[in-house]
Amino acid sequence: MTTTIPHSGGAVDLDGVASPLGVSGPSRTDPRGRTLWRAVFRQPLAALSIGYLLLVVLAAITADYLAPYDPSDVDLNQILSGPTAGHWLGTDSLGRDVLSRLMFGGRLSMAHAAIAVATFLLIGVSWGLIAGFFGGWANRVFTWLIDVIIAIPALVVLLVVLSVFDGDMTIAMVALGILAAPGFARVVRGVTLGVREELYVSAARVFGIPNRHIVVKHILPRVAGPILVHASLFAGGALLIDAGLAYLGFGPQPPTPTWGGMIIEASAVVSRQPWLLVPPGVTLGLATLALALLGDAIRDAGAERTGRAPARGSRPGPSGSMRSSTASRPARAQATDALLSVRDVSISLSLDGRQVQVVAGVDLDIRAGETVGLVGESGCGKSVLGSAILGLLPAAGKVTSGSIVYDGIDLASSGPRTMQGLRGSGIALIAQDPIAGLDPVYTAGQQVDELVRRHQGGSRKAVRARSLDLLNDVRLPDPIGVAGRYPHELSGGMAQRVAIAMALAGEPSLLIADEPTTALDVTVQSEILQLLRRLQRDRGMAIMLITHDWGVVAEMCQRAHVMYAGHIVESCSASEMFDHPSHPYTLGLLGSMPRRSLPGRPLPAIPGVVPTPGSWPGGCHFAPRCDFAMPECTEAPIPMLDAGAGHGVRCIRYEDIRGSSR
Amino acid sequence: MTERILEVRDLRVQFEGRRRGDRPVLAVDDVSLHVDDGETLGLVGESGSGKSTIGNAVLGLVRPTRGQVLFRGADITSVTSGQRRALGQQLQVIFQDPYSSLNPSRTIGSTLAEPLRIVRRASRRDAAAQVEHVLAQVGMATDTFHRFPREFSGGQRQRIAIARALVLGPKLIICDEPTSALDLSVQAQILNLLLDLQRRLGLSYLFVSHDIDVIRHMSHRVAVLSKGSIVEQGPTDEVTGSPSHAYTRALLAAVPVPDPRVRSV
Repeated sequence: MTTTIPHSGGAVDLDGVASPLGVSGPSRTDPRGRTLWRAVFRQPLAALSIGYLLLVVLAAITADYLAPYDPSDVDLNQILSGPTAGHWLGTDSLGRDVLSRLMFGGRLSMAHAAIAVATFLLIGVSWGLIAGFFGGWANRVFTWLIDVIIAIPALVVLLVVLSVFDGDMTIAMVALGILAAPGFARVVRGVTLGVREELYVSAARVFGIPNRHIVVKHILPRVAGPILVHASLFAGGALLIDAGLAYLGFGPQPPTPTWGGMIIEASAVVSRQPWLLVPPGVTLGLATLALALLGDAIRDAGAERTGRAPARGSRPGPSGSMRSSTASRPARAQATDALLSVRDVSISLSLDGRQVQVVAGVDLDIRAGETVGLVGESGCGKSVLGSAILGLLPAAGKVTSGSIVYDGIDLASSGPRTMQGLRGSGIALIAQDPIAGLDPVYTAGQQVDELVRRHQGGSRKAVRARSLDLLNDVRLPDPIGVAGRYPHELSGGMAQRVAIAMALAGEPSLLIADEPTTALDVTVQSEILQLLRRLQRDRGMAIMLITHDWGVVAEMCQRAHVMYAGHIVESCSASEMFDHPSHPYTLGLLGSMPRRSLPGRPLPAIPGVVPTPGSWPGGCHFAPRCDFAMPECTEAPIPMLDAGAGHGVRCIRYEDIRGSSR
Repeated sequence: MTERILEVRDLRVQFEGRRRGDRPVLAVDDVSLHVDDGETLGLVGESGSGKSTIGNAVLGLVRPTRGQVLFRGADITSVTSGQRRALGQQLQVIFQDPYSSLNPSRTIGSTLAEPLRIVRRASRRDAAAQVEHVLAQVGMATDTFHRFPREFSGGQRQRIAIARALVLGPKLIICDEPTSALDLSVQAQILNLLLDLQRRLGLSYLFVSHDIDVIRHMSHRVAVLSKGSIVEQGPTDEVTGSPSHAYTRALLAAVPVPDPRVRSV
């Protein structure tokens, strides 16, 4: 899920913001296997549908015992009676009990649909799995056969089959299943093609596990969702077609009751007793509807289970204020020359339906022309902070306290209009995945043009000239050639240069670079870093660099802030950070670098995992993983302490730690 | 004397173009390398250098166009599925992406027990005992057995993937960027685990990575790949300390140094 932000020169990867937060520990305990059905049952409409279908099936099965009359009992004294105490659903033109006929009729109608569905499943699933998994000639034959079968008019074939086999509905329903299967097989094949490429299938192959076992145990469970959806929808269709064929005079002949047959009988006397059409019509209609609803419910449940459902919760409301609590605490001394000043900012996101705090009481300043690093691992809140500065928090995320002051304006309490005006021209973003950040249907040049037009305007010619200037500025070797290319025709490094050119279009004074080189090769990374440094020098632009790479911090940053579990735990100049790390997490993170250790020797790794938001320990968030922890560390929150010379650290033992790192 | 466990001779892998009429892509071009018992050979290169394709060719996941893959002297370039089953007990893999390398719809226990039940035909109880043993070896709790992959973090999943590779007691493990998707501190834990397992079990690794620092830390010898060919191969400290090929030098120079005083440019 990547959201392209119009007019801000890049995109923010919401996955990168939200998802790493959810994977840092064994937080969920519900096993997955049976949850599909549980998720289906949780939806009221689906539960109702299943209940109705069960009722109809049970009524058909128990008709011998429960039906009040024999379906062929003729009572000419009571014809077309309408509902009475003796005949709850009335009687037909021969005085037969409608309820009994409905119960017995369900047997044949549903048996016919079941035959069609069974054929449909057998052919569709096996065909799709074989074509998708084995590929090659099986796949070619498959595609060819589909083209042929789709060209055949189904109804005509059904009528021919029925006349050749003398109205045998079993064969007709098998034929229906066969005719419908190719489209379905194509769906199964598509899903299989995707699952086949999953690494766990490769792992099973490396073990020499037989193909049939891989297909049954690894592929089939993953395609079960789409299979159930299609089977359910097709079952509804088959019921209708069965009734339709009965209407055309095929299938079991009177007096054998079927739902379709009852509808014809009712239509013959519709002017005398219109009620007669209601029981079979409603029963059939509801059954079809229930099957369709069930199909939808299974699809939704499957999407929820794999996390592809649309996010629930609301975007920050149109009233504009992203901050919920209006009583902000008094801001601490603000650096007077700061371009951006973040004070005591806390942010919460909606995770699994709960509001969870992901950033807690963060302070940081960025001066004009300065590069500030925000260092940390996934789930520490660094990308969320970046998004909050740009007003791009994901759905239901909000700044719960504090202020984000840019150029005298508090972004945390200003409306979306102010943000919109600032994005791109004041603050711009470059994101991690440059190709995903570009719109695939426009050329690179058109995308730069759009931003230049928005920020500067001018004739088409002037706009394009300015775009080419920008592309030239980011040192693309052939600006005119690149401008004419689509994003998929660009390499990662070129796409990142285009994204940077777009970010520069509004001449921003602050650039938020969220892992700008993480997806790139090292040689390309070093070129992009050089480019950013040069642009900064030429334009006096400030950069907030979000990264996990100490090498990038050392190359680029004047100041650095280390984040851990929502807190900034250490802030100081970059050189001080490397020479005198004073927080145990900083120390551990620096020690984790293979480069700072002897080859082949164990790295001084930090034990354990980063706690997930919502399960932060009281007191110091790092204490449970810390070698230096004392009882005081877990008793109360640790404030940011002043370790002198602009060095802040959230640790009461910073002096001991600084000593140990020497 | 140490024995040669893996030898790759003049390996060439060519992929068909994506569409008909596209020119075939030469992914690996005449690569020769070897791995000895208990040794780690690091394969380093940038994206598209063919380093993962070499690993996949050794594993039989891609078909070489030319050349030979020898495992303990026996030709395994193209083997039957029966031979692959026997080989799977000696030769294993750890993939980069800990999210797609475990089947999300099966418990960890059933994923890890599968090769024991199918390849070894072990009883349910023996398989469970062996799975618990390897899970303990990689530092996972016993209750991991009944849980599903999505309950674990990336680092924990990678431990589980390592346990799966160990379950049949292999001698050589292809590590295909095993820590590239992990955070720095988790990477350190996993690298330590791999080093520890190598020491305890006498494993050999073919270690594929784009990160020259990780390669330097893990490998006895290094092969540097560029555009499908090996440009330089030798003992780690020689290749990374005094590289003789221009590409190796460029690769080493491009890595940002985590020390603000040696800022380049």
